[in-house]
Amino acid sequence: MSTLLEIENVQSGYGEVQILWGVTLKMEQGRLTCLVGANGAGKTTLLRTVMGLLPAKQGAVRFDGQNVTKTSPHERARAGMAMVPEGRQLFTDLSVLENLEMGATPNHARAAMKQNLEWTFELFPRLKERTNQIAGTLSGGEQQMLAIARGLMAQPRVLMFDEPSLGLSPLFTLNLFQIIRKLKERGLTMLLVEQNVQMALAISDYAYVMNHGKIEIEGEARKVRELESVRKAYLGA
Amino acid sequence: MNLEALLASGIDGLMLGFVYGIAAMGLTLIFGVMRVINLAHGPIIALGMFSVYLLTNQLGLNPYLAIPITVLLGLAFGMVMYFVAVNRVINEPELTTLLATFAVSLIIIGLGTVAFTTTPRALDVNLGALRSGQITVLGTKAVAVLIAILVAAGLYALLYRTRVGKSIRAVANNRSAAEIMGINTRGILAFSFGLGTALAATAGGLIATLFAFTILSGGTFELKSFVIVVLGGLGNPTGALVGGILLGLLEGVFTIFIPVGWVPVIEYVIFVLILLVRPNGLFGART
Repeated sequence: MSTLLEIENVQSGYGEVQILWGVTLKMEQGRLTCLVGANGAGKTTLLRTVMGLLPAKQGAVRFDGQNVTKTSPHERARAGMAMVPEGRQLFTDLSVLENLEMGATPNHARAAMKQNLEWTFELFPRLKERTNQIAGTLSGGEQQMLAIARGLMAQPRVLMFDEPSLGLSPLFTLNLFQIIRKLKERGLTMLLVEQNVQMALAISDYAYVMNHGKIEIEGEARKVRELESVRKAYLGA
Repeated sequence: MNLEALLASGIDGLMLGFVYGIAAMGLTLIFGVMRVINLAHGPIIALGMFSVYLLTNQLGLNPYLAIPITVLLGLAFGMVMYFVAVNRVINEPELTTLLATFAVSLIIIGLGTVAFTTTPRALDVNLGALRSGQITVLGTKAVAVLIAILVAAGLYALLYRTRVGKSIRAVANNRSAAEIMGINTRGILAFSFGLGTALAATAGGLIATLFAFTILSGGTFELKSFVIVVLGGLGNPTGALVGGILLGLLEGVFTIFIPVGWVPVIEYVIFVLILLVRPNGLFGART
């Protein structure tokens, strides 16, 4: 199995405040990796650094063997990295369709936009009914669907989710995990950052547990789920 | 005071309002996309005037051929200005970007005064006129309206029908999300800034076909643009066009009753009233 995305000893933070203290993480091709941990552990900071929204002070991010540490977020996106950011970050003044078009900005995605639109609508039939609606007027759950659909329109080689279930109703959360499972069956390489540790561990292949800006535990998701420390800290058992 | 004179003056003002609207659209586009208030707006309007003047008088082009060239020059100027003066402070507070564009304004005025002096220039264009009683519609003014409409329609087609236009709206809406979609946001910001200055230069070029001007003439139109932008709602190009037409019409009607020298006073009374009563503009742009 080959490594698609490799984060090596990354240190990062905001200005003087260092958040990440040497994080190493690998994502294998076609697998679903999850990253869990308490609030403030640095999960979002790590995703922002991987995508290039924050510079890495130390360490390297390698995507498909290329060192992308110094490249801008849009270059990473064009290379095939995509992110469904925390809080959705939709283009709220644009229509649903325009949001999806913007998702299909990388050249390879632009060329295949029609087919991608078709299967994205198959996955999210509700969005198809609302193509011309302004994104800001969608319900919270629909907005999350659109954020994921927009990420898929990039036809990414790796898709990173930042807290996708945040603020969703239990029904929508269930729906969300079913969609992630479907994407996994299609062979998409994904990184899932989740507060819903139980569900995240249940559907992932490999798991990392983060605490205080470092990886504390890593391993096969089903094994991590059985660990006493993880059960106590995150699963309430 | 008769109705026909009022109508004549109103029509005259209304037509001029289209040109004001184009200038104001440039100012509001830049603000809407990147929250930068371009204080070089007036001097760029003046550069547009000189561009048409020089292309016509030095190169012997038809003024109406000089205008599309001026659009392109305005675009190029704005993109260079963005990279030289604005990009380095784009993430700084608004006062910093204000000072950066103000510096460019002073440079243009300074160099322009050296190069062109402040002796008034005027283009020699005459397209005749349509007359009916006291109502006179100058050919140059009618053409200016037509060009203004084409430019506004072109801007709309660009923003709503093309990928680059949609990218501009996406960047205006959420810059970091646009960046992670693979949009080169810096390039889009530069292009948007260029579009804004192209609109200013185009308005200048049209004004040059109507009135005499100097390198300082942009100031009046910059101030009008500010009033219009507030009238139409900050960051709202449609509002700016409608606001421009409205301001032109008001000017035309008011100058029947009061001396022209009072026009700025009226404009600023409108400005303050709008800020007090409808701070989001008459057409209530979302905040």
